[in-house]
Amino acid sequence: MKSGSAVDIDSVSRSFGSVKAVDGLSLVLAPGEIVGFLGTNGAGKTTTIKMTLGLLAPTSGTVKVLGGDPSDPRVRAHIGYMPEVATYYPYLDARELLSFYGGICGLDAKTVRRRTDELLDAVGLADAAKRPLKTYSKGMLQRAGIAQALLNDPDLLVLDEPFTGLDPLARIHFRELLLDLKRRGKTVFFSSHELGETELLCDRVAIMKKGHCVYQGPVRDLAGDGAANLERLFLKTLEEAK
Amino acid sequence: MKLFLRQVRSLVKLSFLELWRRNDVFALLLLGLALMVPLSMATPFGAAGASRYLDEMALLLVWGFSLFIALGAGQRLFPPEFESRTIYPLLAKPISRGRLLVGKYIGAVAAAWSALAFFYVLFVASVLLRGGAFAAELPQAIVLHFAFVALAVAVSLLGSLLVTASANLSLSAIVLVGMFFFGRRLPEYAEGLNPALAWVVKAVYAVAPHAEFFDMRQRLVHGWGAVDGIVFSVVLLYAAAYAAALLGLAALVLRRRRL
Repeated sequence: MKSGSAVDIDSVSRSFGSVKAVDGLSLVLAPGEIVGFLGTNGAGKTTTIKMTLGLLAPTSGTVKVLGGDPSDPRVRAHIGYMPEVATYYPYLDARELLSFYGGICGLDAKTVRRRTDELLDAVGLADAAKRPLKTYSKGMLQRAGIAQALLNDPDLLVLDEPFTGLDPLARIHFRELLLDLKRRGKTVFFSSHELGETELLCDRVAIMKKGHCVYQGPVRDLAGDGAANLERLFLKTLEEAK
Repeated sequence: MKLFLRQVRSLVKLSFLELWRRNDVFALLLLGLALMVPLSMATPFGAAGASRYLDEMALLLVWGFSLFIALGAGQRLFPPEFESRTIYPLLAKPISRGRLLVGKYIGAVAAAWSALAFFYVLFVASVLLRGGAFAAELPQAIVLHFAFVALAVAVSLLGSLLVTASANLSLSAIVLVGMFFFGRRLPEYAEGLNPALAWVVKAVYAVAPHAEFFDMRQRLVHGWGAVDGIVFSVVLLYAAAYAAALLGLAALVLRRRRL
């Protein structure tokens, strides 16, 4: 393992029966880096994310997160995760939701209250904090998901399609939130189909196709790569990987 | 240990909020109230002794409602987490699958107990309103009923990880209600059957959860007195051991479940 890396995925493969969802993936994320994880549907992004969270074991290869095994709950205490689409407990309100997840993270009541106030404000749900989640729109649920992922002030934030359902203003706020996390030395790893947002946010991108990583590189080099922007690079990479 | 306690507290709170904010459970409690109040006012045939049959009816209602709530509480622990995909952020937090299972089970049992306590308050109130008195064996009957609810939640929890919701609720109810009413007679039935069928019935008797062990309604209604302390303790140990075995199996199933 490379010393000091936030995530070290080394020659990882994962099969489901005869289907190889991820094949020989190696990817290293440095602390304080924002890395976008791109690919078409079924490319292996979510499977990789699940292995990074210790929810799935690799068939072969190793995944190290913050220097440890992500299946160890002590390692996961420093990870925040937001799934692509989750319908959080409809009978809770946002404050109760964060209080619940705070308890699962082992935070004391005072810290949970403080973090809840900060995060509800940061994701723009302070005014709706007492409304049941069943009355929330998709975008509001997404913001509640972002808040729960940040509750334990994680060193590594893993996000699956974080921009889904967010309105333009919420996207701007969320982008600023992620950049602020980066300034504080946190690592952000997210999968997305939103190439524009990815280009604006990321230091590096990795592009997956049919379980293989077909491109890894810094976003700032895109102009010199013969591609004017990430969208063109994405299409060109997938075309070349045929 | 502190982490575990905080996690369990959160899961218990979640189960309470889930149970008490559900409309069907609320409707059940109102139904219980609506049935218990008339029962508490009735004086059947003008005979004071006949009131014991009202007690029996009220207790049967309490048992029925508690079974409904216990099976529902067990069923709702994991399938909704998978369907709504909240299992992912939950297991991405510092909690193992085994600990989540135990915490959720404790939460569901505590929530179901709170509903059962409410029903017993109604029952005691209906007895008192009819001018009746507490039987000395009431505390023992209540403790055994609470133990049964814990067992029923474990049955439903394991079933929820193996089959669909409707299949689980139906099968669990059939097994528990069947054992409740016919469990003690199974050995007698076996005697009149051919050897192969007798073996099946005996196997069912050995393996199925003995809901009838927890039923003290007759003792309570007819004032037959409390059961021996050793018997009472053995039945509680049986409930604990059976529930632990079911939770162990559920933990194995959950561990092997692909996310």
